[in-house]
Amino acid sequence: MAETILRMYGIQKYFPGVHALDNAQLEVREGEVMALIGENGAGKSTLMKILTGVYTKDEGTIELFGEKVEIHGPHDAQSKGISIVHQELNLMQDLTVAENIFIGREPMKGIFVDKAEQNRMTDELLQSLHLNISAKTQVKRLTVAKQQMVEIAKALSFNNTKVLIMDEPSAALTESEIEDLFTFIRRLKATGVGIVYISHRMDELKQITDRITVMRDGQYVDTVDTATTTIDQVVQMMVGRVIYEEPKTQSSVPADAPVVLEAEHLVSDDVKDVSFQLRKGEILGFAGLMGAGRTETARLVCGADKRESGTIRVGGREVNIRSPRDAVEAGIGYLSEDRKRYGLCLGLSVADNTAMASLDKLSGPVFVNDRKITEEAKKHAEAVRTKTPSVRTLVRSLSGGNQQKVVLSKWLLRDCDILIFDEPTRGIDVGAKSEIYKLMNQLAAEGKSIIMISSELPELLRMSDRVIVMCEGRVTGELDIAEATQEKIMTYATKREVG
Amino acid sequence: MKKLIALLLALVMVFALVACASSETKTEEPKTETPAAETPAAEEPAAEEPAAEEPAAEDGTLYIPVMAKGFQHQFWQAVKAGSEAAAADYGVEIYFDGPASETEINAQVDMVKKEMAKNPQAMALAALSTESVTEILEECAEKNIPVIGFDSGVPDDTTGAVKATACTNNEAAAAIAADKFAENETLAAKMAAATSDAPIIIACLSQDAVSASVTGRTTGFVNRMAELAEQVQPGKVSIEGHAKWEKKVDDAAIIIRVEISATTEATAVQTAANALLQLDNLAAVFCSNEGAVTGFLAAVSDGEDLADGGKYEDLVVAGFDAGAAQKNAVRQGWFYGSVTQDPYQIGYKAVELAVKAANGEEVSDVDTGAQWYDASNIDDDMIALLVYD
Amino acid sequence: MKMEKIGSKKIDLQKLLAPAVLILLYIVFAIFGNKFFTLDTFKNILEASYYIGFMAFGVTFIIITGGIDLSLGTVMMCASLLGAYVFKVHNWPLILALALTIFVGVGFGFINGTLVARLKLPPFIATLGTQMMSMGLGSIITKVQSQTWPTATAEVGAWFKKVFIRADLFGIKGFPVGAFWLFGFFIIAALILHKTKFGRYTYAIGSNEEAARLSGINVDSWKVAVYTLSGFFIGMAGIFYAAAYTTITPGTGNGLEMNGITGVIIGGTSMSGGSGTMVGTLIGVFIMSVLKTGLSACGLQAPWQTFLTGAVVIGAVLLDKARTNAANRVKKV
Repeated sequence: MAETILRMYGIQKYFPGVHALDNAQLEVREGEVMALIGENGAGKSTLMKILTGVYTKDEGTIELFGEKVEIHGPHDAQSKGISIVHQELNLMQDLTVAENIFIGREPMKGIFVDKAEQNRMTDELLQSLHLNISAKTQVKRLTVAKQQMVEIAKALSFNNTKVLIMDEPSAALTESEIEDLFTFIRRLKATGVGIVYISHRMDELKQITDRITVMRDGQYVDTVDTATTTIDQVVQMMVGRVIYEEPKTQSSVPADAPVVLEAEHLVSDDVKDVSFQLRKGEILGFAGLMGAGRTETARLVCGADKRESGTIRVGGREVNIRSPRDAVEAGIGYLSEDRKRYGLCLGLSVADNTAMASLDKLSGPVFVNDRKITEEAKKHAEAVRTKTPSVRTLVRSLSGGNQQKVVLSKWLLRDCDILIFDEPTRGIDVGAKSEIYKLMNQLAAEGKSIIMISSELPELLRMSDRVIVMCEGRVTGELDIAEATQEKIMTYATKREVG
Repeated sequence: MKKLIALLLALVMVFALVACASSETKTEEPKTETPAAETPAAEEPAAEEPAAEEPAAEDGTLYIPVMAKGFQHQFWQAVKAGSEAAAADYGVEIYFDGPASETEINAQVDMVKKEMAKNPQAMALAALSTESVTEILEECAEKNIPVIGFDSGVPDDTTGAVKATACTNNEAAAAIAADKFAENETLAAKMAAATSDAPIIIACLSQDAVSASVTGRTTGFVNRMAELAEQVQPGKVSIEGHAKWEKKVDDAAIIIRVEISATTEATAVQTAANALLQLDNLAAVFCSNEGAVTGFLAAVSDGEDLADGGKYEDLVVAGFDAGAAQKNAVRQGWFYGSVTQDPYQIGYKAVELAVKAANGEEVSDVDTGAQWYDASNIDDDMIALLVYD
Repeated sequence: MKMEKIGSKKIDLQKLLAPAVLILLYIVFAIFGNKFFTLDTFKNILEASYYIGFMAFGVTFIIITGGIDLSLGTVMMCASLLGAYVFKVHNWPLILALALTIFVGVGFGFINGTLVARLKLPPFIATLGTQMMSMGLGSIITKVQSQTWPTATAEVGAWFKKVFIRADLFGIKGFPVGAFWLFGFFIIAALILHKTKFGRYTYAIGSNEEAARLSGINVDSWKVAVYTLSGFFIGMAGIFYAAAYTTITPGTGNGLEMNGITGVIIGGTSMSGGSGTMVGTLIGVFIMSVLKTGLSACGLQAPWQTFLTGAVVIGAVLLDKARTNAANRVKKV
């Protein structure tokens, strides 16, 4: 059996009013990928922050190669061979790969940075990792996946990295990019580095990890071998109950359901002549690779960007959507993939966020009706099962899934009948995911019409009544759910020209 | 982190307290004799009226705020020295303060209000704006707190609070410069030779058209200069440049130009000076206070352009007030000469008058005088006393 | 996650910090200052706070949207200068002169708003421009002559001072009537900020402008409205500046905006927008005034007052930062 590199056990961590970690533990062996999973708030990040020296533990032991160690801050962690690659990329986009990797510890020649040496060291490092990237490339010219790999290379460039923590490395990647990443990880394993892999994507765990450690509510649940465990078993450990909805096999929308939204020949910089129809009660999936123009199309429909030409009809009547306000008036609500940037005012309360689009009808002649706002916010929070201490709680302190529900409440309160979900489950843990699925189905059953943009094919296949596939700004295919398969979608998604 | 902040806040607090405590002991010292005598007066301002003169007469340590128009110029330092000398001579306590710049009317009003809250027995005041302190003066009149104007004083006071003013008669003082210009041979020749086709310009550079002292000087100079020029070129003297003094005459041979700076800051005055220097036929310039002189000197390479062989060697320049730079320019002969008031006397007389008024004596205005000085007499004992550095 | 109920008392205590500092300062100065604890001094503190207070009320809205207004001080002076100019030189009735004063404030507010919201200029640049423009405009129109508002003994318009600053009321001589105005408009400003749609949108725009826009809020129009409302308060500040200082000098006013902005910051409003309260601003303004007056009562001259005010600003922001950090850490787990 391979040597154990890292062992943490009996870890306790208290925050004011919260017992964040209760007897947490983790073990990583040489050349192993250890998955660390759990719902949001399960304590994964807290445990990793203790390991990387951001937080200090209150109790417990950390052993490296069998020796007890104390970690005094991030720098100390690095010098002990523990590196982390964060979910958000921390690269400076305008600097070169070499400059990014050696930032803060540049090789010097007198008072100047020795650029030649820096580039040489970088190329050597990248080659040793079999990465086909030039040291002199500006980071912003790289794909997200390549950037991710540069981040990893940076983490490994610190001498003697023994434990590498990867926090949702695949979150921003497309399917093919993920494949690249996995090849890279396998190569890393061979060098003997122990990897802690944090992810929400169950299918990935099967592909890349050797063992899985599950956490729940700040506590250690179990560690299992990936090979002998099913996804269902893991999920059950995570949430403590059995979930999963059956995939759809056929459309639940009657063929004569009225068309509520019709887009014709939409054109903008990134959207090239897109037309589609959405029926009442339908969940219409939008599939495609990153940059296929799905989000851009959605932004045209909801008025966020200016369209050059094309018409949009809602309920058969043409509406001139020039601003988000026009779209909202027409009953179109957009739930962005990046809800923190486009969906929520994080510093405001659940109630204020819920009421934001509906203040006109929640105000008297002069003042807003706070009692009514609270009432409505409560009602909608209950309807979509938002978990929040109160509607006066700041949205910032909610988990991703609950934040998503606040955005949803906002549109439901505004009486939007057309909802555009852009990557609704990105960065949301399994339990909350299934909640969102359930809600979407429920909304569709109530007669709302939904457009769902997703990069996760299983999710699209499970939810959609119909799937539209886009590639490079054009619609390249349309599939009824009965005939849709992952393979068919991928074929259309990579089809450059419309046949 | 939290500790650090707590520490920092505590430091600020302690610092403030220490500063308070130390200055407190400083100001308390002279009145240790009967500090208790003042407290009741502070708490019952209403009772102050009849009693006002009594504590003053009894314990002899009068508290007199001296509110100047600024600290900016060395002039005020000389005033301060004079007032402190008077305070020592008469055994009174003074508090000398002024705003950082002479446009900060609000700062001066706040300052005076704060001093009023300390119930002084008399006050010396050089107001930036009489209207702005009208209500305060009324309060003084009501509470029988005599106010003594100094320097430019408190012009047009209607409340009767101002009992007397220790000041230079600015118009008369500035007229000295005009007289001296007429005596200057080169300039007199130029004035006589000037025609409508080749007019000459005599300029007055002032830093503002607001403060009474500067406007008074400007008026004094302009009027006397016009009078003298009129004797040389009857009917051909035009006054131009600012609405307040303007008396335009077509086909003038002698143009008296009033140049007012946009603000009192040195750079703005310099800009105004440069504008003057651009004029053809500029024959003479009178700078109406130290600020104007400083700005003007900045525009002529600190005066070197005025020296023999310099760009403006023929220009006849006179200043007002003193200060190291101006004194140097006069001593070097770059300036024709300057008029000086007697700032030390102003400060001294102001406190002297305040003390007398507080003791119930009748007081009346004191002219603190003005003198012409040039390279020949600048180092005379009499003059050296008047011109501050 | 085991979240125990965090004592709500703790949070309330934090909110009480600023008022506590204010009271503490007052007590400290009452003990150490020379005749600080008197009615006259109290009046002085009030009267020096009026114009700063109005400026601060206005700019609170702007700062909550994530913007800034550097033209506060000069626009206030310009408004006050032009009001005095039409009154004195053109003999307008006083009431019209006052209306013009407010109109100038509103006008510049509208211009600022248009530059920022419609023409997408960074607020810093836009208001830096109007700062200079307003300063120049006042000087141009008045031909660089200072202007005076009527004094309490003036033949025409003597009511000006009685209405806005001091009057004999309730048997008290020189009752500070300006306080009624200040607190009245404080209540109005607080109601607008906390209880109207306008206020709600102000927070939303400052918290996340793009999210607000995508929620169907016409962000640009509301921003223009915010700057315009702020302009109204600046016009009011101009009136109260006039009431306190009577004479207005052209070419002044830059630097005064920092008084207003500093009050807002001490009051706990974040410069990055999205948070802040009107009551915080009011307290912030008074902390500054008490500090200045108190230090002067201790015999410290103006440079010391400025220095220590600066230290207090830094202290207040650090404290606020620590407070939000603590609050975030508790919730974020």
